[in-house]
Amino acid sequence: MSAAILIDITRCIGCEECVLACKEENDLGPDRLRKGQEAVDGLSATRFSTILRKPDDHFVRQQCRHCLEPACVSACLVGAMQKTPEGAVVYDSELCMGCRYCLVACPYGIPRYEWDEAAPLVRKCHLCHHRVVEGREPACVESCPEDALLFGERDQLLAEAHRRIADNPDTYVNHVYGETEVGGTSVLYLSDISLGFLGWAENLGEGDLPHLTWASLKKVPGVIVGMGGLMGAIYWVVNRRMKMAARAADGGAGMDVAAPMDGAGSPETAATDAEATASTTESQESGDDDD
Amino acid sequence: MTDRLTTLKTVLWALVGVLASVTVIRFMYGLGAVTDLSDAAPWGLWIGFDVMSGVALAAGGFVLAGIVYIFGLERYRPFVRAAILTALLGYAAVAVGLLYDLGLPWRIWHPMVNWQYHSVLFEVAMCVMLYLTVLFLEFLPVILEHRFFQGRVFQNVMKGLKRISILLVIAGIVLSTLHQSSLGSLFLITPFRLHPLWYSPIIYVLFFISAVGLGLMTVVLESLFSNYFLGHKIHIREISGLGLAAGIVLWVYLALRLGDLAMRGLLGMAFEGTWQSNLFLFEIGVSALIPATLMMFKRIRSHIAGVGVAAAMVVGGMILHRIDVSIIAFARPEGVSYFPTWEEFAVSIGIVAGGILIFLFFVENLRVFEDVEGHPPEPEREPAATTLHPLLPKPLALPKNYSIAFVLGAVLALPFLPLGGVDPVPVPTQEPRTVEAVILDPGLSQPRILGLARAEEGLPEEIRAVFSGEMEASLESGDLPAEMTLDTTRVLMLDGDRDGDLVLFDHDDHAQRLGEEQSCATCHHLNHPLDQNTSCFECHSDMFDGRSVFDHDVHVAELGDSDSCIQCHTGESEVKSYETTTTCNECHQSEIQRKAFVDPPPEHWGDAVGYMDAMHGLCVECHEVKAAQTAGPGPNPEGLDRCMTCHDVDWREDVRKMEPGRQVDVDNDDRMAGSSSSRTPGQ
Repeated sequence: MSAAILIDITRCIGCEECVLACKEENDLGPDRLRKGQEAVDGLSATRFSTILRKPDDHFVRQQCRHCLEPACVSACLVGAMQKTPEGAVVYDSELCMGCRYCLVACPYGIPRYEWDEAAPLVRKCHLCHHRVVEGREPACVESCPEDALLFGERDQLLAEAHRRIADNPDTYVNHVYGETEVGGTSVLYLSDISLGFLGWAENLGEGDLPHLTWASLKKVPGVIVGMGGLMGAIYWVVNRRMKMAARAADGGAGMDVAAPMDGAGSPETAATDAEATASTTESQESGDDDD
Repeated sequence: MTDRLTTLKTVLWALVGVLASVTVIRFMYGLGAVTDLSDAAPWGLWIGFDVMSGVALAAGGFVLAGIVYIFGLERYRPFVRAAILTALLGYAAVAVGLLYDLGLPWRIWHPMVNWQYHSVLFEVAMCVMLYLTVLFLEFLPVILEHRFFQGRVFQNVMKGLKRISILLVIAGIVLSTLHQSSLGSLFLITPFRLHPLWYSPIIYVLFFISAVGLGLMTVVLESLFSNYFLGHKIHIREISGLGLAAGIVLWVYLALRLGDLAMRGLLGMAFEGTWQSNLFLFEIGVSALIPATLMMFKRIRSHIAGVGVAAAMVVGGMILHRIDVSIIAFARPEGVSYFPTWEEFAVSIGIVAGGILIFLFFVENLRVFEDVEGHPPEPEREPAATTLHPLLPKPLALPKNYSIAFVLGAVLALPFLPLGGVDPVPVPTQEPRTVEAVILDPGLSQPRILGLARAEEGLPEEIRAVFSGEMEASLESGDLPAEMTLDTTRVLMLDGDRDGDLVLFDHDDHAQRLGEEQSCATCHHLNHPLDQNTSCFECHSDMFDGRSVFDHDVHVAELGDSDSCIQCHTGESEVKSYETTTTCNECHQSEIQRKAFVDPPPEHWGDAVGYMDAMHGLCVECHEVKAAQTAGPGPNPEGLDRCMTCHDVDWREDVRKMEPGRQVDVDNDDRMAGSSSSRTPGQ
């Protein structure tokens, strides 16, 4: 159901065939960069994937992880980022309004922006979604001469990854990167070196990120009801007290200090109260208008 | 009307003028032309100041409305209209700032039709939009008071608004609570990027509480402002009351912020002496601790200077807090910095200046300060005395100073703006070069180990370090085998895939080990001619050469867009395809000869040949010689001078698959044999 890529770092020879295949498939054109665009990991609006060179001939492919619970999808306020059932996190350029919250939210720092366009878009790997729905492999996987990239069902790839670790426990770090990180990703890494550098944190943890936001968002209805009710109640109490004080002081003279407001804010307010307040309000306001 | 006010307005108009110029460039050429934003720093000053701080500064509106209308504290009524107006203009400024910051600002309405309840930013967008409407309705009665709106319709609207005004106030408070806190919630999803001293699971509570304190202090500053510039009466008793309230709120904020850090065991981090910890301490001190302490003393808060200083500290400190969260303490990769360009500052400042001008306009024309009996309008000046020219339309001619300031500001900004847009830099590449290298020959069957003989000028620093560093390290460590000899040779330095990683390629050594002259074809014809990525890795897994051999776009650009077609596709009636083009060497003949592989440039930094040129150096010349021999007038019957003779028609597919055997076929052809073997490639 959910497609994924397994990247075996130990097999990658760093030839960048996948990078070029990606460029060709997505018609990305030559690289042109501004300060900071390539500084992170070589990704840019014209490079959806890249190879990071690490000491001792370790080549680590950098690309969108297509998280199972993507932070960018959760962050996007117009629904331009979507996780497809096929596994890819895709971007709809027709919906995007360019707030760049996805760039902020991504725990891996993947999405890139076309800073030099007058009408810029977010650019990132989309797991060749158009090919996958046709039943083909992503261009990068197809191009890899060393079978360092493997495309398939996420479950099967996970099984394959664990099989490889079991077969060569001395070679691999005993961890499939992406199996559990931030809720799991659709791009998995097998490696003989630690890949902590691939995210914003050395250890990203297992919890997905959208639930952190949800902790605050789920309180919204409560805040609406609570704050609205509280303010209404306070208003009702204060208003009533003032009216009583005014009445006690002396009939109409004290009415001037009453809050010049309708009592509709508190549902409990008796209709008579409301009408009385309204009438005082209007009389006072019309008095104000004279000057 | 005071001179102060005139000066202030003149300056503000000039700033708006600068804004106007920057605006044009911003929307013509995009964010990259005027900002320092990058993929590593996607949010900058316009979010950190205009949006995050702007919303917080406008918190005075809902706080004062609550105090007066809900809690019935009537003595604060003189502030409430000004506070609501400030909030209204503040939120309008936020919206305008967003228009600058959004990549596609004309889609700012998208959230309204495409609800994404899971996004904090969606909540913020909806709340801000609704609250802006609420604020407008809250302020509308003040506008309708103006004598212009004495009509019956307007007065009915006014009555209706007053009936629902308490509902508006409550809605305003609820909406403010939601989005003031949600601006903090925005960063809940970035636990790995926001520094732990600022990240907190309750960051939304902190944002809300601090906004309340900040809102109160903004009202204080605002009334001091109106006293200074407009000569309004100072309500010192109420101001000191606001100061006290702000102080108490700030203590709550401090307790929550520090308590939260302490409970999670992170408080110690504040004293680690890193720049983040120092920034944290400074921010806490300025934004909360010092002013909150000051406000606890009656003598200080009863004095204009005392409460004014505290208010200024809170306002400055809380703006710093918002900017810390969204920019400074927000992680960027090492080596990437962000500092706003002057254009970013100009936009932020210009929007504020415009807001103040509108504020002043309302103050002068409406009863914004309820205790002031209509503000004396600016004295109308004699047009004849001040206008540039009596023919100018009146609005331009009348307040001459302001128009001039505006135009002057706009014009003065022009020389500093990238009027032609900003071209992104092509990825810097290292052309192949011949350099002097040291051979560390272990005398074994392994390939020779090379190191740069000297630090080459023009090399990127880090690469120079790698090449010469390795050398020096192995020399110093004394690990060199005794039989190792030090010798120098000239080699090619290649940046095969143009990623800045360089390889020292010893061509002589290759030729020697692979069989001298017979070896050329091993490499040069084993590879795929004209392939977009020459696969060095078929022999070496650590050497790469990715290069686009024929770039149609480059040719089009070089030769001049639409005019260029017929320069290569000469036959007018023919289909424009690879079959019908002129041959490469018709244009590039001299170049091929000059850069031929067999003639490496002698200079120290001379250009070395690229792969394609090496190939052509081996083949093309013979082809041309042979073509000249066999050809009569007209096209060469064998097509020897055409690229397509060797490079098949569908260059994208067939050329890629072209087999080395093709060269052998040609070699076996006796017409070519003589000239081919007579050539001696190699350095």
